[in-house]
Amino acid sequence: MNHPFIQALQQIYPAERLLTRDVQLLPYESDGLTAFQTKPGAVALPVDEDEIISTVRLCHQMEVPFVARGSGTSLSGGSLPIADGLIIGLNRMNRIKRIDPRGRIAVVEPGVINLHITHAVEPYGLYYAPDPSSQSICTIGGNIAFNSGGAHCLKYGMTSNHVLGMKVVLADGTVTQFGSESLDGVGIGPDLVGLFVGSEGLFGIALEITLRLMPAPQLYRTVLAAYDNLGRAGDAVSMVVASGLLPGAMEIMDRLSIKAAEAAVAAGYPPDAEALLIVELEGEALQVEAEFAQLQGVIEESGAFEVRVAQSEEERARIWKGRKSAFSAVGRLSPDFIVQDGVVPRSRLGEALQEIDAIKSKYGLDVANVFHAGDGNLHPLILYDGREAGALERAEALAGEILAMCVDLGGSITGEHGIGMEKRDYMPAMFSDQELEIMMALRRAIDPKEIANRGKMFPGVEAPALQQHGLHPLEKQGVISRE
Amino acid sequence: MNANVPASIGELQALVKAHDRIHVVGNGSKPALHHGAGDAALAGAGGFCGIIEYQPQEFTLTAGAGTPVSVIAAELKRHGQYLPFDPLLPNSSTIGGTVAANLSGARRYRYGGIRDFILGARVVDGLGRAFRVGGKVVKNAAGFDLSKFLVGSLGHYAIMTELTFKVFPEPPQHRALRLRYAALPDILDAVYYLNQNIYELDALEFAPADAGWSLLLCLAGFEDTLPSRILALQESLRADTAGLDGGEGDDVNAAWQPLAGLTGDYLVKVALAPKQIPGLDARVSHLKRRYSIGGNLAWVATDDLKMLDALLLEQGLRGLCIRGAASSPLLGMPLEVSLAARVKQVLDPMNKFV
Repeated sequence: MNHPFIQALQQIYPAERLLTRDVQLLPYESDGLTAFQTKPGAVALPVDEDEIISTVRLCHQMEVPFVARGSGTSLSGGSLPIADGLIIGLNRMNRIKRIDPRGRIAVVEPGVINLHITHAVEPYGLYYAPDPSSQSICTIGGNIAFNSGGAHCLKYGMTSNHVLGMKVVLADGTVTQFGSESLDGVGIGPDLVGLFVGSEGLFGIALEITLRLMPAPQLYRTVLAAYDNLGRAGDAVSMVVASGLLPGAMEIMDRLSIKAAEAAVAAGYPPDAEALLIVELEGEALQVEAEFAQLQGVIEESGAFEVRVAQSEEERARIWKGRKSAFSAVGRLSPDFIVQDGVVPRSRLGEALQEIDAIKSKYGLDVANVFHAGDGNLHPLILYDGREAGALERAEALAGEILAMCVDLGGSITGEHGIGMEKRDYMPAMFSDQELEIMMALRRAIDPKEIANRGKMFPGVEAPALQQHGLHPLEKQGVISRE
Repeated sequence: MNANVPASIGELQALVKAHDRIHVVGNGSKPALHHGAGDAALAGAGGFCGIIEYQPQEFTLTAGAGTPVSVIAAELKRHGQYLPFDPLLPNSSTIGGTVAANLSGARRYRYGGIRDFILGARVVDGLGRAFRVGGKVVKNAAGFDLSKFLVGSLGHYAIMTELTFKVFPEPPQHRALRLRYAALPDILDAVYYLNQNIYELDALEFAPADAGWSLLLCLAGFEDTLPSRILALQESLRADTAGLDGGEGDDVNAAWQPLAGLTGDYLVKVALAPKQIPGLDARVSHLKRRYSIGGNLAWVATDDLKMLDALLLEQGLRGLCIRGAASSPLLGMPLEVSLAARVKQVLDPMNKFV
């Protein structure tokens, strides 16, 4: 990395918060998309807003690309370093600055861990709704960059729907703020919060975020239904929807993912199930009980051969543990895997699953399916052995076919993981040249030197080599999981 | 208003290319948004009218931007669904106008506003380019989310021709509850109390009434549980807040119509947090007003727009005037300019849209 830039950084950071030695940089070489690795030039660890702003201004002035990074759990390679660029590590920006339980908001710094917000507001009977599987470690800043979702998106939306206001530093060093503490957010004028959230770090860095909190549900009703084929589980989802119910979550797991989850966490799932459906109702007790009565009728008619209802919070946690650990659990079945994140219209889920079946046979690879059935968000896990010559390339080609299928069926190439590094070559499948050009022009209008998270989202930029295989080190320890 | 009404995207593109200043108008249901247009060419949205795609089982609906909200609402109702963001002017506005001005009604309280339900759009920008933003499925994280940016954009960045929304099943039944409170602080305490409890309210509104203040609540759900839910709500409000009297009302519509009775030359939406209400209310106590969506939005009617403009500025608030001959509909604090200007530079570099 060029010396004058490091010298300038030394004016901002004490030595212990400016990492430049190889051994210090190692943990930052990869993120949740473990197939890619790049060594950054340096890592800066700011502790306040002013340091972030000075750093971004310096990068702009000296034209050094930077990546803002939280816990590095991105599944699309969104926080992958730029070779010889700067990583701005935001984990120390982890203060919850203010909680206003009466107004149901929290004002936080970008490095605050998702689940810590819920922990902090629990005493007031509140919670922060978006629940990506990595919520015990991922940060709000990263959630904002990638508009993270989770299992409970259908009813209450993704990260974007829970951000009311923010203060940001744009990539050219401009500091601005938008939105408010009103539930109406921006309210008047274009919704800049909506534009910034999900911009994958290409616009700049969020410095302070005002989040909407919700009252914690009084009651959950979690139902686990086992089916003897995947299609029947998919039909059950359609029946639930057609009955007028709006569950908080509807998840499906196929045989391979059930097997993996069983092996990993012994969730106690019915052993001979070809498919499992998890439906969760939540909210005001009286209303949930009424909905539950209706749901039971629907599930009875759906042809499930076994139905379990969580009788305690422990049983509910166990059902979810199997589901939430499914990704890392698959790691026990195969040395390597790729997680996809395509979306199809819900009514075409059955078709999509058949198609995935056909594609995987063609490539001779196994695919485990776990998905957010309520919103048609597929998470096929493509299993391969990275030590086998050409296996990764075949897995990538298979993944590409699945994404193309999602677009053909009228869906999207990503529901919640974002484009990042991983799916940028598929952007043209979803957007026309003109649409991409307009998005790129917008990026340049905000970041004329294209220094913020360079190489992400847009196709045709130099790619780091595919190198690593195996689980993320934190995944191996069971600290994080992919959803 | 004599508007050009392009019948196709091609005609709209030609119109944009042919004029230096263009102002978009739907049904004209919010006259204050149009007085500042001056000599700009008027582009009507009426050519982009009708439901294009509606799949009830997908919870998605796509319609032309010029489609009357009433047409969409009626079609959704036939399938037991609704627009949870509750368009403010269901009988007179187009869906495009509702999005452009970001106008939600009382029921927005339950699930969110327009920004939470818009999924995608087709637009024509200031360079005459026709393109798509966002997607058509309920979940999508690909590309910059310009569809949300259109919410509240007042037609200043691009002309919407088509919009896609997430829709929800409509709860089968509704019940309303009305309680009287002696003073504003009491009613705010009740709102704060409700904020921290699980009652899933469809609407939470309050306004000054004959002797004190009136709190209007609406619950939605199954017919057999609603009476007990309403009763529990009523009892806890009486026990834990300073609710004086009142009870179950059969006037669900009263809870749902935030603009009822707000007479005055000008009608202004103010986005605010509940804690900002005492400061504002002390200064507008002589005006007709109502606090909507749990006190996160105020509707104020006035004959003196200049006074209200200055007052909002002083209180650090923003307002949008939707009724009356305002020279500019935007009141109070200026809008953010740094980020919005970059979007303008890309979508409308020649400043055609006014």
